[in-house]
Amino acid sequence: MSDALLQMQGINKNFPGVQALKDAHFEVRRGEVHALIGENGAGKSTMIKIVSGVYQPDSGDIQLDGRAVHFVNPREAHLAGIATIYQELGLYPELSVAENIFMGHAPMKKRLGLQTIDWERMESGAEDLLAELNIHNLDVGAKVGTLNVGNRQRVEIAKALSLDAQILIMDEPTAALTESDVEQLFSIVRLLRERGVSIIYISHRLNEVFELADRVTVLRDGETIGTQQVTDTSEAELISMMVGRKIENLFPKQVAKIGDVVLELRNLNRPPLTRDISFSVRAGEIVGLAGLVGSGRSETAQVIFGVLPAESGEIIINGAPVKISRPSEAVAQGIGYVPEDRGHQGLIREMTIRENTSMAVLDTVSRNTFINRAQERSLANRSIKQLSIRATGPEQITNKLSGGNQQKVVVSKWLASEPSLLIMDEPTRGIDVGAKAEIHRLMSRLAAEQGLAILMISSELPEILAMSDRILVMREGRLVGEFSRDEATQETVAHAMMSEAARRAASAAS
Amino acid sequence: MQSEPRNPTVVEKLRRHLISQEGVLFIIMLVSVLFLATRTDKFLTVDNLLQQGRFMTEVGLIAIPMTYIIITGGIDLSVGSILGLTAIVLGWSWQELGFPLELAIGAGILSGTLAGFVNGLFIVRVGVPPLIMTLATLALFRGLAEGISKARSARGYPEWFFELGQGEFLGIPTQLWLLIVAVVVFGIVLARTQLGRALYAIGNNETGARFSGLTVNRYLLLIYTFSGFMSGVAGYIFVSRVSTTRSDMGTGIELDVIAAVVLGGTSIFGGTGSVAGTMIGVVLIQLLKNGLALSGVTSDATIVVIGSVLIFAILVNNFIQTRRGGN
Repeated sequence: MSDALLQMQGINKNFPGVQALKDAHFEVRRGEVHALIGENGAGKSTMIKIVSGVYQPDSGDIQLDGRAVHFVNPREAHLAGIATIYQELGLYPELSVAENIFMGHAPMKKRLGLQTIDWERMESGAEDLLAELNIHNLDVGAKVGTLNVGNRQRVEIAKALSLDAQILIMDEPTAALTESDVEQLFSIVRLLRERGVSIIYISHRLNEVFELADRVTVLRDGETIGTQQVTDTSEAELISMMVGRKIENLFPKQVAKIGDVVLELRNLNRPPLTRDISFSVRAGEIVGLAGLVGSGRSETAQVIFGVLPAESGEIIINGAPVKISRPSEAVAQGIGYVPEDRGHQGLIREMTIRENTSMAVLDTVSRNTFINRAQERSLANRSIKQLSIRATGPEQITNKLSGGNQQKVVVSKWLASEPSLLIMDEPTRGIDVGAKAEIHRLMSRLAAEQGLAILMISSELPEILAMSDRILVMREGRLVGEFSRDEATQETVAHAMMSEAARRAASAAS
Repeated sequence: MQSEPRNPTVVEKLRRHLISQEGVLFIIMLVSVLFLATRTDKFLTVDNLLQQGRFMTEVGLIAIPMTYIIITGGIDLSVGSILGLTAIVLGWSWQELGFPLELAIGAGILSGTLAGFVNGLFIVRVGVPPLIMTLATLALFRGLAEGISKARSARGYPEWFFELGQGEFLGIPTQLWLLIVAVVVFGIVLARTQLGRALYAIGNNETGARFSGLTVNRYLLLIYTFSGFMSGVAGYIFVSRVSTTRSDMGTGIELDVIAAVVLGGTSIFGGTGSVAGTMIGVVLIQLLKNGLALSGVTSDATIVVIGSVLIFAILVNNFIQTRRGGN
C-alpha cells in the first residue's frame, strides 16, 4: 500500500501474565480517520501506547512514512509528528491557554541579551492555531483550569497542531463531552482530515465510528481481527467481530417471579437532589431509574446507601423501618451498591481481586477478627469463575484489569455479601459490548433465580427499557414518572425526563 | 488467559524476601553493623546491644501506632508532647495530689490515651487534617504539661518503680520484653486481622473503603487513641528509666519515630507498610547513633550520617521496587 503513513506488522507485547498484543498489525493512511475498536482488554490502549512511544513492543516492525522507526520514549514519537490526546487531559490548569499550547517550544526573543519568551508572538500564534480550527471564542490568556472539558480538549488539539502532528491519536475523546461539544469536536476532526492529518480514533460508541471514520480496525484478545471500510460494514458485523460471536440479543432479560416488597421509601428527603421520593422495589424485580445527568438518581441511591444520609423520610426494608446513616449500616441491612465511579468508589484499585471481593464480607471470611486467607482465596476463585473475570488469578491487582473485568470484581464484592437489594449505578458504563451483555445476563439471572431486588440507574435508554420490569423517572430531584415494562417506550420515558421548557418546545415544534 | 499458579522454589522464595522492602533494609542494617564493628570493639558486644535495646524502646513502642496511622495516610505529630504530658501527670498526681503511685501511673497513661482520643475525634468528626490537628496538639499538650508542672521536676520514686525502665528480666532489659511482645502482637494484628485490612484499604482509597461498608471513622478514631495510649506507656517507661519527671520529656521524638517508620518502607502517602519494616528502621537508626558515637564521631556528624543513610536506603529501595514492578 503506497499511501500508508503508519504501518505496524507482527507486533507482540507481553505483560506479566497477559499477552496484550499477539502478532497484531495496523495501518493508517494519510488523511484518514481510522477508528480502532475492541472490547476492554482487547489491546487498543497497548497499541496506541506503542504508536506514541510509551511502550516498546517485544517484537514487530513499525514504519512511518516508509522508514522503520523505533520510539524509545514519547518524546521521540512527538518529534516524529505523533501526538496523543488522552482521556485524562494532559494540560497545566494553572497556566494560560497560550502557555499550554506552546509548552516546551515557546517562541523566544532576545531582550537585554537574554533569551526570553516572546509573549506577543506566543499569544498571536495561539490565536492563529485556534482560528485554523475554527475556534474564535476562546481567550488565549485564560487559565486552562477555568475552561470546560470541551474547551480544554480543543486546547490539546491546538497544542498537537503546534507540533505539526501528522498523526493525532484520540483516546475516547467524547467520553466526558456534552452533546454540543461532541458536534464541535467532530467538525474539528473533519477539518483536520481535509488538511491531510491522519487520526486514530478510539471509541466505545459505534455510532461515532459510523459518523466519523473512513476505516475501522477491530482488535480482539490482542489480535487484529480485521480492517474494514466503514461504508462496507454494519454495526452488527463490527460487534460480532469484537466479541467473536453473533449477538442475537444484547439484553437477555428473563421473566422473573415478582415477590414481596424488599425496599420501600416514604417521602425520602435530602434536598436539593432528593425531594420527597417514595417508591418500592420487590424481590425478583429490576426497577430502572431513568433521568438526565444531575436529575438526582445517583444522589437518591446514595441516600439509600447512607453515603448522604436522609434528612427526613422513611426507609423500610422487608417491612421494618430502618435508620441508615452510613454505608456500613446499609450493608448490615442487606443492601449492596455498585457505584457509578468504579475506580474511586467501587474498587480499591491498588489491592488484589481477593482483597476486593472480600471487602464487604470481612466478618464472614474471618474467625475472631483473624482473616482466613484460604477462605478468601476460594471466594475470589469462585467469583472469577462465576463472573468469568479475565485475570491471572485472585492475587492480581485490580488496577491491571480492563474496565469490564474491574466492574465484575465490584459486582462480585456485593454478590459475596448476599444482599437482598442491589443498587447498580450505571452498571455498564465504559465497558465493552461483550462484558456489557454478560453483566446484563447476570442481573437478569440474579433477579429471576435468586429473587434479588435490583435498582438500576442508567443513562442509556435502551438498557433501561430492555432490563427493567418497571421504570421510574427523576427530574430535578423529584420522581416525575412511573411506567410498567409494557407502557414504556423510548418516547414516553424520554418525554418524562425532559424539563417543562423542553417539553413545551417539543410540543410547539410538532 | 488463566495461567496456573506454580509453587515457587526455595531459591525464588528467598530471592523474593531479599528484594522485599524489609529485606533490602535488613541487608543495609547488617552492612552498617559489620562496618561499625570494625571501627570500635565496644560496639558489637552483648552488653552494649542490650543497652541500645533499652534506649530504643520508647521510640519503638510509639512507632507501632505511627505505622498504623501512616498506612492510613495520616500522621501524628503530637506523640512527643503526649509522652511529656503523661510523664507530668504521673509525677504530679503522685507528688502533688498524693495519689498512690500505681494509680498515678494509670492516670498518666489514661491522660495520654485521652489526648490521642481528642486528636482522633477532631480528625474524624470535624474533619481537621491529621497534620494540622496534631501540629496544634503538639503545642497544646506540651503547653499543658508545662502548665501543670510549673517547671518543677518530680523525683524520689520508690525502688520498684525503676524496675521497668532500669531493671532486667532473664538478662534482658525489662522494657525490651514489652517492646518484643508489642511488636509481635501488633505486627500480627496489622497483617492478619480485619483492622489491618481496613487500614490498608483506607490508605489506598478512603472513599472506596467507605463505599464497601467499612466503618472508616471508627477505625481512625481507634488508631489515634491507640497512638495516645502507646505514647503514654512510653512516657511511663521514660520516667522509670531516667528516674525523674520533666515537662520537656519526649521533645522531638516524633521525628525519630516518623523517620523510622518511613525508613521501614511505609509510604508517607499511605497504603503500604509493615511493623517488621518499622522495627528494622528503629533498630538501624539506634545502632547508627550508638555505633558512630562509640567510634568517636561527633554528634553533629552523626546526624549527617543518619540523614544520608536514610536517603540512601530510600533510594535503593525505590530503585529495586520500581525495577521489580517493571519486569
